[in-house]
Amino acid sequence: MLLLPKFDYEEPKSLPEALAMLSELKGNGKVIAGGTDLLVNMKKGTVRPACLVSLKKVEALREISGEDGGLSVGSHVTISEIADSDRVASTFPVLARSASCLGSPLIRNRATIGGNIVTARPAADLPPALLVLGARVELRGKDKDRTVSLDGFFTGPGTSVIETREVLTRIVIPSPPPFTGADYIKLGHRAALEIAIVAVSSRLTLDKPDGVIVDARVILSSVAPTAIHAVSAEKALMGQRPSEDLFAKAALLAVGDSSPITDIRGGAEYRRDMVNTLVKRTLLKAFNDARDMKGGNA
Amino acid sequence: MKAYNVINTRLPRVDARAKATGDARYTADLSMPNMLYGAMLQSPLAHAKILNIDVTAAKKLPGVRDVVTWKEAGLVKYGVSPARYDEQVFCSDKVRYVGDEIAAVAAVDLETAMEAVSLIKVDYEELPVLLDIESAMAEGAIAIHEDFPGNVSAEVHQEFGNFEEALKECDIVRTDRFTNKRQDGGFLEPQACLAQYDLNGNLTLWSSTQSVHYVQRSIAMVLGLPVGKVRVVKPYVGGGFGPKAAVNAMEIAACLMSKRTGRPVKMLFSREQVFLHSRARHQFFHEFTTGVKKDGTIMALHNTCYLDGGAYSSFGIATIYYAGSLLGAPYRLPNMKYDGYRIYTNKPTCGAQRGHGGVAARAGWEQQLDTIAAELNMDPVEFRLKNMMKTGDVTCNDFNMSSLGMQECLEGVRDGSNWAAKKGKLPRGKGIGVACGFFVSGAGYPIYRSETFHSTATIRLTEDGGGVNLYTASAEIGQGSDTILGQIAAEALGVSLDDVMVHSGDTDFGVDLGAYSSRQTLMSGHAVKMAAEDTKRQVLEALSEQLGVTVGDMDIAGGVVIFKKGKPDFSRLRTLYIKEHRGWEDQPSGAELTFREAARVAFITRGVIIGNGAYKPGELGGKYKGAAVGTSPAYGCSAQVVEVTVDEQTGKVTIDAMTDAHDCGFAINRTNVEGQMQGSLSMGLGEALFEEVRFDAKGRVANASLGEYRIPTALDMPNVKTVIIESDEPNGPFGAKEVGEGAIMPTIPAILNAIYDAVGVRINELPVTSERLFAAMKEKQKK
Ligand SMILES: Cc1cc2nc3c(=O)[nH]c(=O)nc-3n(C[C@H](O)[C@H](O)[C@H](O)COP(=O)(O)OP(=O)(O)OC[C@H]3O[C@@H](n4cnc5c(N)ncnc54)[C@H](O)[C@@H]3O)c2cc1C
Repeated sequence: MLLLPKFDYEEPKSLPEALAMLSELKGNGKVIAGGTDLLVNMKKGTVRPACLVSLKKVEALREISGEDGGLSVGSHVTISEIADSDRVASTFPVLARSASCLGSPLIRNRATIGGNIVTARPAADLPPALLVLGARVELRGKDKDRTVSLDGFFTGPGTSVIETREVLTRIVIPSPPPFTGADYIKLGHRAALEIAIVAVSSRLTLDKPDGVIVDARVILSSVAPTAIHAVSAEKALMGQRPSEDLFAKAALLAVGDSSPITDIRGGAEYRRDMVNTLVKRTLLKAFNDARDMKGGNA
Repeated sequence: MKAYNVINTRLPRVDARAKATGDARYTADLSMPNMLYGAMLQSPLAHAKILNIDVTAAKKLPGVRDVVTWKEAGLVKYGVSPARYDEQVFCSDKVRYVGDEIAAVAAVDLETAMEAVSLIKVDYEELPVLLDIESAMAEGAIAIHEDFPGNVSAEVHQEFGNFEEALKECDIVRTDRFTNKRQDGGFLEPQACLAQYDLNGNLTLWSSTQSVHYVQRSIAMVLGLPVGKVRVVKPYVGGGFGPKAAVNAMEIAACLMSKRTGRPVKMLFSREQVFLHSRARHQFFHEFTTGVKKDGTIMALHNTCYLDGGAYSSFGIATIYYAGSLLGAPYRLPNMKYDGYRIYTNKPTCGAQRGHGGVAARAGWEQQLDTIAAELNMDPVEFRLKNMMKTGDVTCNDFNMSSLGMQECLEGVRDGSNWAAKKGKLPRGKGIGVACGFFVSGAGYPIYRSETFHSTATIRLTEDGGGVNLYTASAEIGQGSDTILGQIAAEALGVSLDDVMVHSGDTDFGVDLGAYSSRQTLMSGHAVKMAAEDTKRQVLEALSEQLGVTVGDMDIAGGVVIFKKGKPDFSRLRTLYIKEHRGWEDQPSGAELTFREAARVAFITRGVIIGNGAYKPGELGGKYKGAAVGTSPAYGCSAQVVEVTVDEQTGKVTIDAMTDAHDCGFAINRTNVEGQMQGSLSMGLGEALFEEVRFDAKGRVANASLGEYRIPTALDMPNVKTVIIESDEPNGPFGAKEVGEGAIMPTIPAILNAIYDAVGVRINELPVTSERLFAAMKEKQKK
């Protein structure tokens, strides 16, 4: 039987209060958001915080707002709020799509975007989409604030640059250039409650509807210790005129960029094959959306 | 068909309100003053000698009230089949799988009990670990059970007709192999129990079980108590599917510790322990050689099967027989040979699970039949129609098809799915497949040799005539038996379902073998019907004395007395009733004499009215060894059409539609029949596409959680078109027979056949994960 160990629980009403608390707890405290990762790990005994600091009363962390054609999402916004948000769907549909792939409706109602990022699981659903969108995260501590690009955030499975006394407060997504399209595909076994066997997110920006690719981002998930850029695929796409052949070539390069392992969810060979399939598919969809876009959103 | 008031309807379940509101209490919800919590020490090793068990530190931990090992529990052997009692409550000499029980602790709270368990020190000497059939059967392999050198836990050889001779007449002979994977029951409620041994030496056990009767007997036997001193009660149960059909060590440990401490002891399985206890579906390795004539007549089958049994026997002796005996039917098959071997391995024990023993056999063989139909250039539906049995046929292994709506099932799914417009006409990547199924409607014999009734039932009318109390030891485990039995009682007695209070799942209410082998609707249903008829007779006899109308000229239906030859003057009885109930609001009125009034008269003249029923099957066919497994008073059958889409670039299978027809004899509750069909399909879909209990190299379950062991979610289930076929079974109450397990039979092969139709590959190993199918398609492309 997995029993939850004993711990103290605090519900600060403001961010400064929360930051002061975390600073005082000196690493014995941990932020709890939806708890869908943290409580499971505490039951398993892999983390044993003496005190949980809940952010649910900090209203400022629960907002989604638009910012110069971009988006700002508070860290405590739930995954279902993102999946159901009209604002997200109209500005960054790929983010809404990735959110709707996470867990099940019950999990999505509790899980938060901040938790999904900080937990740094190699197969987490939101980071690939956030990475192609060029998201930055705002980290705040008692005495210092910083904003880091998500590209530099993850350092390994379960680890990132965030410090124990810091709180991730918001995710900022810059406004997309015109003629940009993106996609996220998660391959799992079941239709819900799945950890990805492989997931891929891609984004393409064209100089004009029938023009060349001026920006290409391909993120591979579950095939390396963290979500990674398929660097050689991205390079091969840049400056090229989009075509199925080009995407096929990029997909093969992406396979080379991946380093999957065989585990209980799938074999390495199958994962490589799926990188190939999913990169092609996401590029095709990204291209179609970029071309059809009358300029403005991704 | 006869007109009925209560049965053959869609009345809501009697437990619907309690379950929808969360009011229903399951074993884990129970609690008692002074209650202790128990926890068990289970082996971390798959195979080892026990050199020493030291419980000193555990006993010293504050809050611990009892620590028990084999020294306290004794060495009594138990199990499911008396011929294979190979389990002990706690291991004494060695452990045989990761999870084998070694000791238990009772303490003031669960945390303390678990901490005490961690303080028990066991010294082991590791033994070679045998994790698969090959290593267990290898020359010189160590015996997991000393009495079974070679690790063959059971072996079956049967031949009906003459297989070799029949092959000579065949134009096509094919041999194919098939294997499924070990499945988990995947029920939502992990096993749980609460034991209370009182000051007078009476033991009561509340437990999440499918059979209060078998648990009662096992506990009495192992603890050396008279059966009459052991009462087993089943609260609401959240699914069983087979693994809960026999006693478990936790139940016995809780009883033992309650007896020793004089305090109630509650114990619960975690989800991981559910996987370790298992007793769920075996892994079967089948090889089928089937001979068919060019005109499509199926002539002969040789079925060889190896079962990976795990560490103990459990229901496995029945499983090995079922893996042979359930084939052939529903087709006319004159010659059938079967060789089965159940092998002990150092893994959790396998047992019974929905479609007991027959699911993998059915899947593999129906896929082979599809291949044969293609070789014959025959439509698979036509091929099956040509070969199927009809009511009145008897199989070569002596099963009597007292009713068999197989043709109606096949035609039902053919027409319901629009087969003719789709078969062979779908675009690449889309496919359609068909398969049939067949299952017993209740095991013909109890699991222990006995003349016992299989089900008894008692009805007691309340003294005011307003209520009908039905007492049965049958097990409502979510499948809906309380509703079915309540409906049968109401119909047979002539009242409404609202008048019936169903009291079930308690050994104090009689004998019932429980919820397994799809037996309760037929068997418990018979007993209940008899009890209701007995009750009705007594009421009418009492009425006859008062009114001077002969019993045969009266009946009860729709809550009122029917006078077939004109209504007598019953005003005296009405006045009497009304006088007795002065101040009541709902006095009987109107032109009819109500059941209430009649029942009141019966009480006043005769005392408490109690009706009894008891059922056991009549003479069944089969005199050969093993005939006891598979013979049944009736057989259900089914057919299914599945439509799939295969994503050829990922191997992912999406089930687009399922059309399922099942012959349940007669639907007591149409919604419940459909519920069983839908549930069977979802379980079959899971086994076909997702489910597999996996082990690491040391024999530990690698996916003992519902996160990594995947049962289908609601989103994986397509809409199902259900077709109920009613063949009116002469041996069933009101013509009813099974639907609970048989409905799973066609699901897997229909999926496999649809996948073949979509992409042209045959998969003979489950589950068909996208990875397995993708690899098979890649392999085919290379060729
Ligand atoms: C059944 C189930 C299914 C799941 N399926 C998926 C899935 O399909 N895809 C997927 O990606 N994940 C899945 N998860 C994992 C989990 O739900 C997600 O990662 C979720 O987004 C975590 O968010 P949370 O709010 O619950 O985080 P929590 O569990 O509350 O926290 C996770 C970690 O982040 C830290 N943290 C949280 N918020 C902040 C913050 N603002 N600042 C600093 N640190 C913070 C916590 O201290 C903790 O270490 C699943 C989990 C379960 C139980």
